[in-house]
Amino acid sequence: MRTYILRRVAQSALTLLGVSVLVFVILRVLPGDPARMLLPDGAPESAVAELNRQLGLHEPLIVQYGLFLRSVAHGDFGQSFQYRAPALRVVLERLPATVQLTLAAMLVTIAVGVSLGIFTAVRRGTRYDVAGTIVAVLGQSLPNFWLGIMLILLFGVALRWLPTSGFASWTSLVLPAITLAAFPTALVARLTRSSMLEILNRDYIRTGRAKGLTEQSVVLRHALRNAAIPVLTVIGLQIGALLGGAVITESVFAWPGMGKLIVDAIFFRDFPVVQTVLILSATVFVAINLLVDLLYTVIDPRIRYL
Amino acid sequence: MREQHPQLDHIGRRDFLTVSAAGLALASAPGLAAGQAKRSGEIAAGLSERMLTLDPANHYSISTTSVLRHLFDPLIDVTNDSKFVPALAETWRPVNNTTWRFTLRKGVTFHDGTPFNADSVVFTLKRVHDNTKLIKSFVYQDIESVEKDGDYGVIVTSKRPFGSLPAHLTMLGMLPPSAGRNEEAFFQKPIGTGPFRFASWTHGDQIAMTANPTYWKPGIPKVEKVTFRFIPELSTRTAALRAGELQVIDRVTPDLVETLKGTRGVKVLDVPAIEAQRWIFQLGREPVKDQRLRQAISLAIDRSVIIKELLRGYGRPVDSPVPPGLIGHTSLPPKVYDPEKARQILKQAGYSNVSVDIVLMKDFYPKQLEIAQAVAAMLGDVGIKLNIKNLEIAAAREQRTAGTYDLFFSGWAHMPHDPDWYFGQWFTKAGAEKLTRYTNPRVEQLIAEGRVPDPKVRQAKYEEIGRIVWDEDAELWLYYTVAIYGVSDRLRNFEARRDYYVLLSDVGIV
Repeated sequence: MRTYILRRVAQSALTLLGVSVLVFVILRVLPGDPARMLLPDGAPESAVAELNRQLGLHEPLIVQYGLFLRSVAHGDFGQSFQYRAPALRVVLERLPATVQLTLAAMLVTIAVGVSLGIFTAVRRGTRYDVAGTIVAVLGQSLPNFWLGIMLILLFGVALRWLPTSGFASWTSLVLPAITLAAFPTALVARLTRSSMLEILNRDYIRTGRAKGLTEQSVVLRHALRNAAIPVLTVIGLQIGALLGGAVITESVFAWPGMGKLIVDAIFFRDFPVVQTVLILSATVFVAINLLVDLLYTVIDPRIRYL
Repeated sequence: MREQHPQLDHIGRRDFLTVSAAGLALASAPGLAAGQAKRSGEIAAGLSERMLTLDPANHYSISTTSVLRHLFDPLIDVTNDSKFVPALAETWRPVNNTTWRFTLRKGVTFHDGTPFNADSVVFTLKRVHDNTKLIKSFVYQDIESVEKDGDYGVIVTSKRPFGSLPAHLTMLGMLPPSAGRNEEAFFQKPIGTGPFRFASWTHGDQIAMTANPTYWKPGIPKVEKVTFRFIPELSTRTAALRAGELQVIDRVTPDLVETLKGTRGVKVLDVPAIEAQRWIFQLGREPVKDQRLRQAISLAIDRSVIIKELLRGYGRPVDSPVPPGLIGHTSLPPKVYDPEKARQILKQAGYSNVSVDIVLMKDFYPKQLEIAQAVAAMLGDVGIKLNIKNLEIAAAREQRTAGTYDLFFSGWAHMPHDPDWYFGQWFTKAGAEKLTRYTNPRVEQLIAEGRVPDPKVRQAKYEEIGRIVWDEDAELWLYYTVAIYGVSDRLRNFEARRDYYVLLSDVGIV
């Protein structure tokens, strides 16, 4: 068990180092000069060169990477080129909004997705199943930006029930959370359904029913628990996808999160901000996957001995 | 009548005294005369361009300039018809070609109570000159010295004539000298002399400000609070205005005008901007270095179709490199549509199957791809093939620097209401080195001569430059942009600005 955990942690650390190299290199291979993006069209060449020097971009790539690793080890992700403020501060300022949105979307995903999956599995072949499947297919096929704009027009502009954009109160969270959750909810619903159907046909379920267990107990205690493993894996992966999907949702809803920040940072070649966001997201993603892997050992004790 | 209002005829002595005393008290309340008691409500504006910094010297963004105008006052303001008017400087005059003297306003204080005086101006100007890290620093490199002349006088001398200095100063807010102690901390919670005080901001997302009750201009501001939200996504900005969450949005595109006009409580204001859409040629490269080809391209484009069909009328025919209202504008012969003449010129010059690359900065200008496609069809009609390269902004600019383009889709907003920067950048050898590669010694000389403070000389020199580059077809002038704003009908006194500024100090809300 201990070796397993240590091995997984070491793998995670290596993954993060790999991510840092990739992010660093890809950003610098991209065409476009940060100084030229910051300065107006009317800036002389001497000003461009001077600003590049100020931003530390005149050093060889390997030196830049070494300096970057050294500062990251000290918790310093550099100064944002655009904001002229520590990149970490700029990113952390946006983190709460992204975390709130991701958590809210995750909550919707789990609550609606799992319930819908169980419901359609238990009522397989009925019109409820068909309706549930249609909803799930729609959820997976509607593009985020389109759904977002439609929700804004209906609930924000026409009915005026909810704010159209921004981050003012919990009501601001409703529309972006639904938009962001649409795809993973549908995915989780479909997966739960198929996983449940497979389990519900197993012998031990029949045995359970035969010995007189209530249907609720059969479905929730015996079937769901066993059907949960693939669902849990997908939910874990979806948190990463949600962080990624948030890029579009945040832009549509002018949500002050990291997604919107990173899009702008990439456009303007604000390397420190892009690096900070990507490395932080990769860390969260790796940590969650590590956590999910460790959770398996709780749900399925056989994994401990692998 | 008598029965309906019995008390009107029966006001007692006590009642009369009470009412009179209340009236007198109201009339003598401090600030009422200045209109301060009328201040109420709040306004939220949605701007297209994100504000990245609160430092007036460290950006060249139009949105940021207009937002920071609420926190900081510049020495000089510019009106919508491009007149320079006093702000913190009451008067200014050239002492000679390389010296300006500014007389400052007295009795102005910063938000923390520190008095504004010559020290603030000296600090602000020296900072933007000396600290080359600042984005605006390059504009002020011609300054040689900034000296106090008493507590309310400042003398600025420059290495060469700097006639556009007052214009540039409209974009530079004045700082208290104490800002220099810890700049990073200062610009987290900045202090200016402006009509609003800083309240809060989230980097690139929004900034909130509250009224400065001791603002030097009487009756300003009109509202208690303003918030600027930065929403680059136009559909989101529009939805927030239609839902009543915002009271003003900028940069509305022509195709959304009808939607906004059809929304209750929303109106659309538009004004010809001080921006010209002019595509640049790479003048150091075949084939567009040939003036005949450039002339043929210009003749082959039907500008009225672009304005009427693609911009739905929200564009103005261009008649000079310098938009009307600015110093140096003069009406030049129109750029006509004459495909037959274009074909003739191409034939005479021996061009057949000529191919030209145009680079676009993806999603930078509204309708740009459609406009480029329409132009490609028009050029196709006269036998010029236009290859459209729609690239991500940074990649497009990289190509421009490298000179690997023939045409580049671009516009120029004549900030700060003066063409010196435009001419100096695009039509001098040093300025155009990594841009258009333009070079013409006569134009270079005229630009230098046009830098003197005398407006008559400047007008004459810029007119001549305008004529030369116009005749050379040095750029492809297409149209003047129209600035479109979506505004709540609850706003009072909102002015649609030609420079895209959203200024709310003088705006009220009902």
